[in-house]
Amino acid sequence: MTTLSSGSSLLITDVTNIRKDFPILSRTIHDKPLVYLDNAASSQKPVQVLDSMDHYYRHTHANVHRGVHTLSQEATELFEASRRRIADFIGAPNEAEVIFTRGATESINLVAYTFGLSQLMEGDEIMLSEMEHHSNIVPWQIVCAMKKANIKVIPILDDGTLDMEWFERNLNAKTKLVAVTHVSNALGTINPVEEIIRLAHQQGIPVMLDGAQATPHMSINVKKLDVDFYAFSSHKMYGPTGMGVLYGKSSWLNLLPPWQGGGEMIAEVKWSGTTYNKLPFKYEAGTPDIAGAIGLAAACEYINQFDRDGMLQYEQALLTACTKAMESIPGVRTVGTAPHKASVYSFIIDGLHPYDIGTLLDQQGIAVRTGHHCTQPLMERFCIPGTVRASFAIYNTMEEIEKLVQATRKAIQILT
Amino acid sequence: MQTAHSSIELEQEKVIEEFSQFTDWSDKYEYLIDLGKALPALDEKYKTEFHLVKGCQSKVWLHAFVKENKLYLVADSDTVITKGIIALLIRVLNGQDILDIEKADLTFIEAIGLKSHLSPTRSNGLISMIQHIKSYARNLSITSQPEIASDPASQQALMIRQIKEVYDPEIPVDIWELGLIYTLGIDEHGKVQITMTLTSPACPVAGSLPLEVQEKLMQLPFVTDVELTLVWNPAWSKDRMSDEAKMALDMF
Repeated sequence: MTTLSSGSSLLITDVTNIRKDFPILSRTIHDKPLVYLDNAASSQKPVQVLDSMDHYYRHTHANVHRGVHTLSQEATELFEASRRRIADFIGAPNEAEVIFTRGATESINLVAYTFGLSQLMEGDEIMLSEMEHHSNIVPWQIVCAMKKANIKVIPILDDGTLDMEWFERNLNAKTKLVAVTHVSNALGTINPVEEIIRLAHQQGIPVMLDGAQATPHMSINVKKLDVDFYAFSSHKMYGPTGMGVLYGKSSWLNLLPPWQGGGEMIAEVKWSGTTYNKLPFKYEAGTPDIAGAIGLAAACEYINQFDRDGMLQYEQALLTACTKAMESIPGVRTVGTAPHKASVYSFIIDGLHPYDIGTLLDQQGIAVRTGHHCTQPLMERFCIPGTVRASFAIYNTMEEIEKLVQATRKAIQILT
Repeated sequence: MQTAHSSIELEQEKVIEEFSQFTDWSDKYEYLIDLGKALPALDEKYKTEFHLVKGCQSKVWLHAFVKENKLYLVADSDTVITKGIIALLIRVLNGQDILDIEKADLTFIEAIGLKSHLSPTRSNGLISMIQHIKSYARNLSITSQPEIASDPASQQALMIRQIKEVYDPEIPVDIWELGLIYTLGIDEHGKVQITMTLTSPACPVAGSLPLEVQEKLMQLPFVTDVELTLVWNPAWSKDRMSDEAKMALDMF
């Protein structure tokens, strides 16, 4: 099993071992070795995750919660053990506060529809930030339109950090929820969430964090954060797609109405009315993604085997090296220069379109993302059509960064 | 125009042969980029919402017009690789007979290894551009018969056919069958007056529907202008759906 210490001299050899856990990394693209730098969109999966799901389907699969037969009990135990492991991973005090969803987007929609529809009144405000992913904008637009409530947007400064003075000044009695991203997917900015939560809670305002870009990189403790809702996706943190989590304080989840109706979420159904199941089942209508939960738990375990500080330091070293090398290329401009960033490097090149650069990088086997990264308001803020984004995971190497730099130089040479 | 006399097939073969010389990807892209750079800039008057072909990653503007049953194209893009492919499309299609364009199978793009640029995930506007060209050619081929072009009933039928290509996101029934169009008319100058609604004022994704309707109607050669009014009164309800729509949505 691979381990990663925080001693930087050992890192390269360790990463060679880590890479062996990810079968896809040995693929070639256009006859060149794949350099996968699109981890902020979705990370690759280690064999440990793949095997856990395969094993479940081969040996333990049955529907959960409703069976007296052995297999159903085994599947239920595995499923609920996965929930406990995931709760531990984010420091949730109570596993019933971990709701399985299809991903961070669905988690946010769950909060928008339950909290939004039950707590918002005409003229109330929801506070978002200018750097939100569309997933944390559109659900609020829909719900605010229904409730005649308003969205207030925390502006960002030129370096891609939140204008915290503005935030503090504009929190008010009408603010019913602060919903911001923990880490920006387009810029990498790590937001001062402790401070945001402290300021909001001072005025009795709950906070929801979009943790989709945070959970792959940093250790999360929802209890320490004292956050009211925390949404994240499995597929960005080495787990399977189609699986996500909403953590919510049980005080909130018990208070809010159910969302989707169906099997599993009920206590008793009568034509005269239905009573609902307890947490977490109240929010899990229908047969859940059992294999997905098992895969996500395996991903948590996979991450947990590493020294988390060492992992963060390694990814930060990749980011620093990448930023420095890319900025040495004439015409390259870094978008997002916050002092605290996750391993996301967004850039533009003067006079060149991100699409053209991305296409020519792909020809050289390098997978990056181009475009607006589902953050159109943010791109508008910077007056750019989009960026090229390289985002790193634990299996990326300094050698791959060098390849990105060389490939970018080649792309510029072809395009100019 | 040099390409006017060669058939689409012949021109495609020429392009394929030219590209077969490139053994290295970078030579191929350099050539494509040179073609993109050499594409004449589109007159600013055509760089409007009307001429914009939707793409998420890059923008494509397209202006097509017909002279003596031949279709002529001018187009532009904000990315140079897309422009290079546009240059090839124009080379193959420009000045060709509208009936040939309608039937054309543009196999050359795959043959020269650029098929991935037409994948929907690229979202660069190229597929939509080809669809626009074909749809334009198809409409022209119908309306080139003068008796249809000036007959109000035929015009109405053609307008409805265009509108039926527009869908409300996530509803598998076109917006005509959904009953979103309240009134539709055209005057003798080719100006269309249309009133429509959306399923819900809260539906943010549906905001692009009116624009799409305008775009589809403008593809008809006899349409000179589209005046679209969005109304909320009377509000849309499920009763406005056609029986066909109700059937499709399993509402019976």
